[in-house]
Amino acid sequence: MTTSRPVAACAAVLALICLQYAPAGAQAPKYTITVMPPGGPAPRLPDGHPDLSGHWLPNSAGQGVSGRDGVDPAARRQFDPKVTPEERPAFQPWAEAKIKAMTPVELELSKSSVNCMPRGLPAIWLQNPYSTVIVHTPAMMAQLYEVLNNWRLVYTDGRPVPKDPEPWVHGTSTTHWERDTLVVNSSGFDERTYVMPTGWFHSDAMKVTERYTRPSKNYLIVEIIVDDPKVLTHPWKSAPRRWTLGNGEVYEFYCTNNHELDELGKLKEQESYGK
Amino acid sequence: MKTLRIAGLAAVTMGVFLTAVPSFAHHSFAAEFDAAKCQEWTGTLTKVEWTNPHGFFYVDIKDANGKVQNWSFQTYALITLRRAGTSLQLFKDNIGKDVWVRGCLAKNGKQNYAAAGSLKFASDGVVRQMGQLQD
Repeated sequence: MTTSRPVAACAAVLALICLQYAPAGAQAPKYTITVMPPGGPAPRLPDGHPDLSGHWLPNSAGQGVSGRDGVDPAARRQFDPKVTPEERPAFQPWAEAKIKAMTPVELELSKSSVNCMPRGLPAIWLQNPYSTVIVHTPAMMAQLYEVLNNWRLVYTDGRPVPKDPEPWVHGTSTTHWERDTLVVNSSGFDERTYVMPTGWFHSDAMKVTERYTRPSKNYLIVEIIVDDPKVLTHPWKSAPRRWTLGNGEVYEFYCTNNHELDELGKLKEQESYGK
Repeated sequence: MKTLRIAGLAAVTMGVFLTAVPSFAHHSFAAEFDAAKCQEWTGTLTKVEWTNPHGFFYVDIKDANGKVQNWSFQTYALITLRRAGTSLQLFKDNIGKDVWVRGCLAKNGKQNYAAAGSLKFASDGVVRQMGQLQD
């Protein structure tokens, strides 16, 4: 970590607040759902660190935006690519070829969502359209994912990583604070998950860094770094993605009636006959 | 097939770049449904399945010969419907009543099956988004 990283992080957060949040008076009146204001200062834990607890939605509106009319495009997104562009992952040639060899149906069938499989880390922060509840104490951060009623515990009490960690979809994590940023380093992943629903798979060597900041009461910023030398030529870093504070209404999502595999399977058969 | 594969590669490439907004559907509409085969139907709501990862509702629709066919329509995941203000009770209240649906047919040719984009209950005349609107 260089000394310029905290400064750059602060600048990025400020840029997000300044450039993506516009006062209600500046919005076009046609929008009924607009960017949520930052709110007051972030709450703090008893130990003085930011409290990341909250019901977080993957957009800038602080409420559901999908399937609704009158939504400001700025409220739909988690970041503005013009402000914080996100680089394309640099795949190893063999990995790029593997992804490109997939047909659209094969790609679809590879998705965690289509298979009702857990997204896993880091996908849960990159390809999750539903909300997440965080319960944060000085010793632990519990992440309760609405999708698939899934959950994850991240211990922040300094306990060591097990000698032989099991391959888990969320890996095994250690944490530390860099000023007001909670940094979570994870490794030991189940290889069946995908980083992105674009065919971006990962290896058993993948390491993931999550950087959590709460610049204000209503905003949670999550940055992801994926280091996977077997699949990527160099680590990939996400844009700082904004999650906004919801109203606490969380819905059940058990995957009990999945038709996708059958329907896509039939389509794949038809494509095979057509080759 | 070649055209399809090229389109797929383009989709993959675009997907890698266009990640500013999470995919708000459970999966890709374009992989399973045909945006070039979208149409409108009117009929009578007969049943709803309030399930994940998708809900389904069923509508009795008269075909060109006047014969009634029961169609099924896929919706968003229930979380999305609920956050947009659509509830199971709303469907239950409209069983046996007229509805208007706009949606797109399945690419695999499954009969009487489509992804619903919009739904309007005759009882209140409100057009509600049920899925991705492709046209």
